[in-house]
Amino acid sequence: MTGRRFGKILVANRGEIAVRVIRACREMGIRAVAVFSEADRLALHVRQADEAYPVGPAPSGESYLRIDRILEATRASGAEAVHPGYGFLAENPAFARACEEAGVAFIGPRPESIALMGEKTSARREAVAAGLPVVPGTLEPLADDEAIAREADRIGFPLMLKAAAGGGGKGLRLVTAPGGLRGAAERARSEAKGAFGDDRVYLEKAIERPRHVEIQVLADTHGNAVHLFERECSIQRRHQKVIEESPSPFVTPELRERMGALAVALVRRVGYVNAGTLEFLVDQDRAPWFLEMNTRLQVEHPVTEMVTGEDLVKLQIRIAQGERLPFRQEDLRQRGHAIECRVYAEDPDQGFLPSPGRILALRAPGGPGVRDDSGVYEGWEVPVHYDPLISKLVTCGYSRRDALLRMRRAVSEYKVLGIKTTLPFFARVLHHPAFVAGDVDTSFVDGVFAEADRGRDRPVEVAVAAAALAAFRERQASRPSPGSSGPARSPWWEAGLRDAQGGRAG
Amino acid sequence: MILDATVDGRTIRVEVRGRAGRYTVVLDGRSLEIDARETGRHFLSLLVDGRSHEAGLEKRPGGYTVVLDDDVVSVDLAEAAPGAAPPARRPSGPTRVTAPMPGRLVRMLVAPGQDVAAGQGLAVVEAMKMENELRSPRAGRVREIAAREGQAVDAGAVLLVVD
Repeated sequence: MTGRRFGKILVANRGEIAVRVIRACREMGIRAVAVFSEADRLALHVRQADEAYPVGPAPSGESYLRIDRILEATRASGAEAVHPGYGFLAENPAFARACEEAGVAFIGPRPESIALMGEKTSARREAVAAGLPVVPGTLEPLADDEAIAREADRIGFPLMLKAAAGGGGKGLRLVTAPGGLRGAAERARSEAKGAFGDDRVYLEKAIERPRHVEIQVLADTHGNAVHLFERECSIQRRHQKVIEESPSPFVTPELRERMGALAVALVRRVGYVNAGTLEFLVDQDRAPWFLEMNTRLQVEHPVTEMVTGEDLVKLQIRIAQGERLPFRQEDLRQRGHAIECRVYAEDPDQGFLPSPGRILALRAPGGPGVRDDSGVYEGWEVPVHYDPLISKLVTCGYSRRDALLRMRRAVSEYKVLGIKTTLPFFARVLHHPAFVAGDVDTSFVDGVFAEADRGRDRPVEVAVAAAALAAFRERQASRPSPGSSGPARSPWWEAGLRDAQGGRAG
Repeated sequence: MILDATVDGRTIRVEVRGRAGRYTVVLDGRSLEIDARETGRHFLSLLVDGRSHEAGLEKRPGGYTVVLDDDVVSVDLAEAAPGAAPPARRPSGPTRVTAPMPGRLVRMLVAPGQDVAAGQGLAVVEAMKMENELRSPRAGRVREIAAREGQAVDAGAVLLVVD
């Protein structure tokens, strides 16, 4: 397949990542084909694509996860390749195989690699064989309570319960004592069953106050493999990343070089092709422990792009076209610093409960060094059916401090009305002394931050003044002659704010 | 216009007068001169003693959610009865625990008659691919269970009652 050029690519995803891939296609002169569920007819990725095909009802099991319907859309559109994004079918070896059998290029690793590295316990075995240190735990998936209890006893507490087929924090539980094991296992297995159709779990010893650091890798079909340095992903809530950055303020040049070499060793051992990420926990003594490999493009890939100057999606496409990597390891450098905040439709004041609904108003930030990878627009309704990530806000600068100050500025400019988002949460995290110092571990959000956040000062005076003025202006607008007292039965709060626009005063 | 504004359980008496962009806002007896102009639907630009604020205003029953540069503040507004003191906060009584979003009730963690502490998990609702634990807003006793496990629930559906 060397020298092949794609004329048309189908993007088997939705939301911000579908928009991201479509943008890369358009910049490369490749036509982009979107697929959409019934809930996503008006989604941004459908509007931005060159072509779009429906693939079924709103639940992802009946649309974005339907291999047959995605391939039918591929046939109908005549696309020569499929980009799976992340989530959905991205790490499903059966999908990669089905693409191969249909004569369509899958923009990602080979099906065998997805199967081998996607199943967490076989990935751990390969890592051990490639010389990577792994967190002590079970090497086989467990499917019954008795085996889970026995293994837990052997490994000791605290431990992590994880879905064998998992990712994205789903089916993941921290268990601190034997008493909590049964309930946590039940919850993890039911969540894993729902998310992945596979309720097997495995156990790992929990590392105290770990940093979550991952290494980006790229490999072509000609035997070339490089790493693109690390991303620091320690700011998590519910075991899901919310802020990522590169470089990691915790990683020394020696550790960076060592982790990169370990990552490339594993990539070479399994003959991995295309983009992938190796996740490590780094303990307080700066010892790295291999956790798992993600055989896909990562949500947080933009921070790597900002510091290396490389476009990972375009490189994925070029690798799938059979091209050689256009650089060697020694050509790659980290320049400056980049930070990403994941803007979720969630209410940070209600334990990050999802907050779907219509986006009443949206003002995105701009200016130097700001990148907003969004999948939404004003007036659109964020559906309840899918992941609540609406945008990734990324800033870069010459130093970590530059990127951080720029992110504070960008978060202030970003305004979303109609749904709750994680933006105000970011505004406070970005001012927290521990985050400013780069001294955070994965317990930061639930521990030191939650503690400091409880007694925070809120801009009550300005908020009350703004609300009272809005109410007052609305009443004035609905009653043109001031001073006359209106009917008591039509209070101001029943009139729409929209109506107030008509009678707007100077 | 005189209003009682409530934020986080604290009530502030607020008076507004003026027109055509220039207003006097009296907050708890302190007077502020505010230049307020619309900057598009749902937004006001406020100049308060030379300080510039951009406020997004999301109307909801009983008040506004105000989106400011670095925080979002929920403000309840009520017409103040002339001369009356700000009303006391709602006294304790039966509290209905509702589904915050459409989803499926995965598990009920408590039984009728059970004593619960504030913050204790009451039920697990699955929505947007995540299982979310709903916690008790107050200490009390479970009076009634109003939904069953496995049931699909709409936003606002009552799941149980604590009193």
